[in-house]
Amino acid sequence: MKMLFAQAPAQKLDLAKKLLLLNWPFLALITAIVLVGIAALYSVAGGAFEPWAGRQVIRYCVGLALLFAIAFSDIRWWLKGAYPLFFCALVLMALVPLIGVESGGARRWIGVGELSFQPSEMMKIALVLAMARYYQWLPPEKIWRPDALIPPLLMIGLPAILALVQPDLGTAALFAIIGAGLMFLAGVSWFYFGAAIVAVVVALPHAWEKLHDYQKERVLTFIDPERDPLGSGYHILQSKIAIGSGGLTGKGFMHGTQAQLNFLPEKHTDFIFTMFSEEMGFVGAMVLLALYLLALVFILFMALRCRSMFARLVAGGIGLTLFAYVFINVAMVTGLVPVVGVPLPLVSYGGTSMLTMMIGFGFVLNAHVNRRVTFRPGEVGGLW
Amino acid sequence: MKKSKALHYGEKKKPDYVRKQSYRFSRRALLVGGAQAGLFGVLGWRLQQLQVREASEYTLLSDENRLMMQLVAPSRGSIRDRTGAVLAEDKENLRLLVLPAFCKSLPATLDALSRIVPVPQGTRDRVIRAAKRQSGYYPVLVAEGLTWRQFALLNVLSPQIPGMRTDRSAYRKYYHPGPMAHVVGYVGMAGKNEVDLDPVMRLPGFRAGRAGVEKTFDDELRGTPGTRKFEVDARGRVVRELGSTPSVRGKDLVLSLDHHLQSVAQDRLKEHRVASIVVLDVVTGGILALASTPTFDPNEVVFKVDPTAWTKIARAQDQPLQNRAIRGQYPPGSTFKVVTALAGLHAGVINAHETMSCPGVYALGRARFRCWKAHGGGINVHEAIKQSCDVYFYETAKRMGIEHLAAVARHLGLGRTYDCGLPGQKPGIIPDEAWKRAKFMEPWYGGETVIAGIGQGFVSSTPLQLAVMAARVASGRAVMPKLVLSPDDPAPEWPLLQLDPRHLEIVRNGMSGVVNEPHGTARRSALEIPNVLMAGKTGTSQVVNARNEHKLSPYERETHALFIAFAPADKPRYAAACVVEHGGGGSRAAAPIVKDVITEALLRDAARSPAFASSGSGAVPGPIAIVEDGG
Repeated sequence: MKMLFAQAPAQKLDLAKKLLLLNWPFLALITAIVLVGIAALYSVAGGAFEPWAGRQVIRYCVGLALLFAIAFSDIRWWLKGAYPLFFCALVLMALVPLIGVESGGARRWIGVGELSFQPSEMMKIALVLAMARYYQWLPPEKIWRPDALIPPLLMIGLPAILALVQPDLGTAALFAIIGAGLMFLAGVSWFYFGAAIVAVVVALPHAWEKLHDYQKERVLTFIDPERDPLGSGYHILQSKIAIGSGGLTGKGFMHGTQAQLNFLPEKHTDFIFTMFSEEMGFVGAMVLLALYLLALVFILFMALRCRSMFARLVAGGIGLTLFAYVFINVAMVTGLVPVVGVPLPLVSYGGTSMLTMMIGFGFVLNAHVNRRVTFRPGEVGGLW
Repeated sequence: MKKSKALHYGEKKKPDYVRKQSYRFSRRALLVGGAQAGLFGVLGWRLQQLQVREASEYTLLSDENRLMMQLVAPSRGSIRDRTGAVLAEDKENLRLLVLPAFCKSLPATLDALSRIVPVPQGTRDRVIRAAKRQSGYYPVLVAEGLTWRQFALLNVLSPQIPGMRTDRSAYRKYYHPGPMAHVVGYVGMAGKNEVDLDPVMRLPGFRAGRAGVEKTFDDELRGTPGTRKFEVDARGRVVRELGSTPSVRGKDLVLSLDHHLQSVAQDRLKEHRVASIVVLDVVTGGILALASTPTFDPNEVVFKVDPTAWTKIARAQDQPLQNRAIRGQYPPGSTFKVVTALAGLHAGVINAHETMSCPGVYALGRARFRCWKAHGGGINVHEAIKQSCDVYFYETAKRMGIEHLAAVARHLGLGRTYDCGLPGQKPGIIPDEAWKRAKFMEPWYGGETVIAGIGQGFVSSTPLQLAVMAARVASGRAVMPKLVLSPDDPAPEWPLLQLDPRHLEIVRNGMSGVVNEPHGTARRSALEIPNVLMAGKTGTSQVVNARNEHKLSPYERETHALFIAFAPADKPRYAAACVVEHGGGGSRAAAPIVKDVITEALLRDAARSPAFASSGSGAVPGPIAIVEDGG
């Protein structure tokens, strides 16, 4: 162990070495998923690169550049920058209700036109980095202590509350899932998770009262879509019909009647999986899910190979994010969970989610490149 | 911090914690990975459930899942006359339609239908053409005006005939069809370019105004279509209605016409082949009657899809679709002498006292212009109008020249169309030098001025224009004809004519003499109502000339008979103009008609009764055009 600490300063890697260390098969896997998405967008547009598929290619390229930039950067920068980045995101999220741009009944955006972005997207990455930074600092023997729970709970709670204010239930839930998952990976005792579950069950009826009417309506129509076949239940019903009618082998590329006949809402964004599985059938849908699962397995093994807690949790946290996105989206379009408006990462049309995921994968690859790096206590710094 | 220090002191404990943490992370990461794989398994199971186990069910749903947006044709506004009598309104219509997208085979469906409702070859071709041209989800009309028996039978059989639909919609019913046809007009299916402008027009049963008031006020009468959203199954039957916006009924229209007077006028015209009459309210300009014969029944034109009925009417002898009162352009003949007299007095080339003698012929250079009879000497302007002396007006016209005559003629409302809601008006011709140069590239000749003075030659006018002229002479105001009286301005104040009232009085007296004094040309048409006199002017306009003489049949060679009039002579309220094509002399053919119609107008005094106030306009949702019957 001593030897490892001694070696640490000499571990500065040059670019050639980093290129060699990069997980190229993982990159190919991501590209494959993006290509599936571009094909799906091409089909949704009725066999045209306009208006979606072409722009998605550009966004992927931009995302790829960011991914490389992050993957080859020094992991220590990010260790040092984790908290400032988190606070930055937190302040921006707090500013959204004040200076944000309203779109579709919720203020989620900041900035103007093409340059606008969602601070909550930035927060998804920042949260992972900040929590990884915290558990990197926390001495392993202290992890059982209740007071060690306070900083991570604040890290999860503050952005979650700010997301709820917007109001964006989906994002708040995502923060909670990622945060809880990271705490679990970091080694927080089972006991606390059991207690949290009990607390949630007790608090649920009260939380229900606090929900917005449209959110209640979503949950209720999810339980019984026939309640409102014209409104929110309509989406789920149409989506299930489209997926189900795809059958085993699908209706064929560009031959999905439900999507092409405009029965599907948001068919190029949140409901792209519906369109894909209508046209490609059960086989196609399973292949796409298998690609995602493979990506998750890649991330898992990358996390396992890391020596530092920071790198492990960064990779694990991004893996959790990817998983949460895919699971919620697919479960949503198949009618397993309520419609919360979560895109299918790398496939759905939309610059924000694409860039978020590519930046996230950049951090995963950064962790992978720096898998042998460990930090001395001096490098980590104090709690702050 | 105390514990952390212990970490550094206790060399034995430190690796334990770090290794333990490392192991714990691996354990938990694998656990999380396993959970993720398990949840993906749930997704896979769900997809298998949807796409494999229940696939057939969802495939069926997907076929059934055809959303249809239907436009609901609005109910068209009614048209009423001034008494409130309905002239045109929407009535229920039982119809048969097909939705080509839901037919297994369109010809087979049509075959099946023809066993219940006759489908002629023409209709068949039209339906098949329409099905090719537009989206298969637009219903195509096959037959309408079904009997209840046919309607019930079709509904019973509807499950066996895919793509077939029945509905109850509205059709246009016209009352007093003969007399009112020309003014009210009719509705018809939209033309091709109209359909391109507004897809609503493609709705079966959506009719646009084709002629008359229906055309002019189409936008007001039409209303606003509503929409209905359906989910329909694979056979095109409505599974459920998903929402609708109601259509808004078109506005009602109240015309200045009096249907009773109109019927009397039409009745009186009937004895002639082609004739027309216009009766105006001198004060308001309101058109009280505007009739033209031959006429047609608009109900025949609008109700049948079959275009043969329309073609038959359109091609009938004497063209019944033509509204002669606004489209017939006739040489006004001696009725134009009213204009010549006023123009001469205004120009100062004649006065009330100057007399001329009429030898029966008028010489201009080497040309000779004949008078219809030798009136002898002592003809002043009053006598000239009364006895319709041509020579007097030849000379008057020659003295003032064509420009002055044309200016006064235009001032009296001739040579133009009016914005009164009647489409297709002809302007007639009030010739002048510039007109002739533009038209024939020839200079104006003096002889043409002379014959223009008696309303022959190039001069032509429509009966409506002549009626306006009579009304202007009678009232001394620039009356404009109106077919729709605006409720907020029932009696518009027309501007005074730029003519000397004394001159107008001279002419009006002359016109009164025509009817009421000895030697007047329309003496026999004096009113029989005590103490009420009618003033008028006969006209007999020549049709034949040297060029066309040999080409015309005896009927066509006969002169047009014209008569303009106003009454009461001392306090004018009604003005009228009547033209009987090839009717012979104005006094014999036209004046008696005007006499009868004016008598009727005076007795009913239609203009005095207030116009019918339209009650609710708009707001009432119309009947739904596409009604799905339970079948």
